[in-house]
Amino acid sequence: MKRNRQEESRRILGQVKREEFVGRTAELERIIAHASEADDSRGLLILLAPLAGVSELLRQTYDALFNKQGAAVPVYFALPAAETTPVSAAIEFLNTFLLQYVAFRRNEPDLCHASLTLNEIVDVAPSTDFEWIEKLVKNYNEHRFGSDDRDFVRFCLSAPHRVPAGNPKPFLMFEAVHLAAYGFAQVPFDRELLRALASYQFPFALAGLRRQIVYAVECAGGTIERFDNLHLEQLKDDDARALVSSAARRNGVPINQETTDLLVQQFAGSPFFITAMLQAAGEKHVSLDTYLSCERLYVDELLGGRLHRYFSAVLERIAPQPEIRRAIVRLLCEAIPPGSRTIVFETWRKRLGVSSENVEDILQQLHTEELVNWDGETVDTEGGPTPWRDYLRSRFRLDALREPRALVVAEVIASALKRAPITITTHLRRLGQLRLREVFESFNSQLVPSMLFDYEHFSEMYRGAPPEEVAAGLASDTTALRLPQVFQAASGASFSTELRQFGEENSVIAHGFEGATYSDENEVVWLAARVESKLEADVELTERWVDLLENLARKSGFMRTQLWLISNEGFSLDANSLLKEHGAFGSSQQQFELLAGRLREEASSGAGTPDEVELVLPMGSDYELIAANTVEQIARRLNFRPEAINQIKTAIVEASINAAEHSLSPDRKIYQRFRVESDKLVITVASRGIVPSNLNGYNRPSTDTDTATDQRRGWGLKLIRTLMDEVEFERVDEGTRLRMTKFLRNGS
Amino acid sequence: MGDSIKSHVRAHTVGATAVVYAADYLNKLTGERIERECRKQLDSGCRALVIDFSDTELVNSIGISILLGIIDIAEKCGAVVVFSDVNSETVQLFEMLGLTRHVSLAHDAQEAISHLSAQPAMGH
Repeated sequence: MKRNRQEESRRILGQVKREEFVGRTAELERIIAHASEADDSRGLLILLAPLAGVSELLRQTYDALFNKQGAAVPVYFALPAAETTPVSAAIEFLNTFLLQYVAFRRNEPDLCHASLTLNEIVDVAPSTDFEWIEKLVKNYNEHRFGSDDRDFVRFCLSAPHRVPAGNPKPFLMFEAVHLAAYGFAQVPFDRELLRALASYQFPFALAGLRRQIVYAVECAGGTIERFDNLHLEQLKDDDARALVSSAARRNGVPINQETTDLLVQQFAGSPFFITAMLQAAGEKHVSLDTYLSCERLYVDELLGGRLHRYFSAVLERIAPQPEIRRAIVRLLCEAIPPGSRTIVFETWRKRLGVSSENVEDILQQLHTEELVNWDGETVDTEGGPTPWRDYLRSRFRLDALREPRALVVAEVIASALKRAPITITTHLRRLGQLRLREVFESFNSQLVPSMLFDYEHFSEMYRGAPPEEVAAGLASDTTALRLPQVFQAASGASFSTELRQFGEENSVIAHGFEGATYSDENEVVWLAARVESKLEADVELTERWVDLLENLARKSGFMRTQLWLISNEGFSLDANSLLKEHGAFGSSQQQFELLAGRLREEASSGAGTPDEVELVLPMGSDYELIAANTVEQIARRLNFRPEAINQIKTAIVEASINAAEHSLSPDRKIYQRFRVESDKLVITVASRGIVPSNLNGYNRPSTDTDTATDQRRGWGLKLIRTLMDEVEFERVDEGTRLRMTKFLRNGS
Repeated sequence: MGDSIKSHVRAHTVGATAVVYAADYLNKLTGERIERECRKQLDSGCRALVIDFSDTELVNSIGISILLGIIDIAEKCGAVVVFSDVNSETVQLFEMLGLTRHVSLAHDAQEAISHLSAQPAMGH
């Protein structure tokens, strides 16, 4: 049947028009594509960050699939927040399922909004579906008055199974954001739900809070790897701005660029907060064109509007008894000694005055909502978005301290207004600066000019030099520093309250390994910080930072450390001397950006490039000669001198022999890669297998017990190091990978 | 003067001097063949060895370590070793690994033989 344009764009469950739905286009397409997958497709878990918003995404998916009238019959069911018994939720599910199935089959969107009993749904079912729906409803009526609730819940959740084989298959979108509300029932609804979903022979999507879903899947004896996963985070800045503009337009709220940015940053891109604020502004006919109007409305909403209702509902669900709620608010709000935002479980138990089991339930729910981080022992109260913390503080002052409401309102507005420019400044600074942590996350054993970490040397060479001269100089610089392979980079603020005062972005603690092996000796922690100084950082400021980071390293028990300070304009002479005394690195912003640029370039050229030749050779039988002949041809194209070509050939022969001799290689193959760059030839020789502990990329000192032949057989690496300009073992999980570089010099 | 065929290494003798020719690629296999030939020549009474590298384009460290072994064996027999016709790249490698401290280098085999014949035999 040919559909007209009007049918294609019908708004059925969506609360906004498709064109006004912004920021989740890729996710929408992904879910639609999932619906169209084959019958044996795996389920899709939509793992949601709290308040990242999923309802409208699923409703929009529903509309798109309904209007498409394709092979998948969309069914959207949101587990009610208010229906707190599994039985009532199961009945609601069955009703929704049948109603939406019939609506789709009749191509009558209005049916989705009708309030029909199951018997009435049978009456409106199309003749092609009448028989199985009537039978299902009849069975329902038989089960309904049984005494086994679990059996009844199972019956309802298995309704999609009753769709006859020849009929269009349902695509079930189950929104379980409120799954935690069903945790105390006698029937474990989460397990029953997962059990039912796992048995479906058609695609489905289950959306819920990520911690809740992962927990529920594990409780049901599964792992999330068995499903396809879609992670929903808060919106990125651009998408969040688009949402603010779109919601402002829809609600008729005057807004400007400055306040748009404020809302985006203050609410960290949360669709829920943004939408709630703009709906409130629309209803109250408030303009959001100044910081003051934004913060005034924010505090209104926090103390009595949507935000208040949301957080209150969360708290009431977690702790239905008012006195326990008050105790939770007090616990979360009370002044905690600086440096410790954690409270042990026992303190919670004593302060809440309830059983350990109840405390566990409360903490589990707070953890699920990501309002605290609970590891089973201690509770970190730093979690939760800014509005949550504002809500707690205001509630504590109003309910526990009994402060006058007018005073609390005034002070919360004042506090929000004072915070607004700081929020925006931090955001703008972040935009203008490369993030320290991101740069650390790209540390992966690359070789970089050591001068990038030595401001004194760098400024001697390049102070005031044009960028092209700096770039050329660094390109030909052969004094290299091997970066560690960083496996975790976290903000220094999460390690130290002293660092917290300088902002989340301004310090990083990065754990990594140096060299080619994961060993205690190679483990290293880099402690890096941005030093705020408009001029070259002086010795006093530098010393304070060095002391701060060294103390942190000591307190944290870091064995091997590397300090690195970055100051916009570099460091004074005295400060440089101090850094050297402490073995610390110092860089200017220019050096930092050059380093970041270099790492980006390496990352983008990581995959095979057009000027790259790969060769896989069997080990043994003089196959190294093929490598030597290949590299000879390549080196000739680069116009290396004959002597240099011979050196490269010998080096590759030696590297091939080493690879064959030293690895217990399962595939007995040597993987060689020749990368041609404008000024150099980079060769990597790799093999799989176990590397003897005495190799690991380094020459082992000879011992008295070595025979003359043993010693001579260690010549390969010595030769390679002499013949090539740079020789490094790269980090690999298995076997070895040797990288050798020969620079093309004038006359080479 | 006679050629050795069994070891696949070309060799001939001039008086008490054996001239042994290295292959185009000096590696473990060809190095051990040279070693075997040199031992044989020393066992046959040769008191000087000329190893000729005129065909050799490439050597590897295993081959070089075998050459050092040959030098050791020759020393124990009181024999002299001369390398002839070594290309400049290979000379560089020999220098790096210290071989040139133990052997003389000659432009070619003929020059090596002349040089040796001018010297008194070392004897036990």
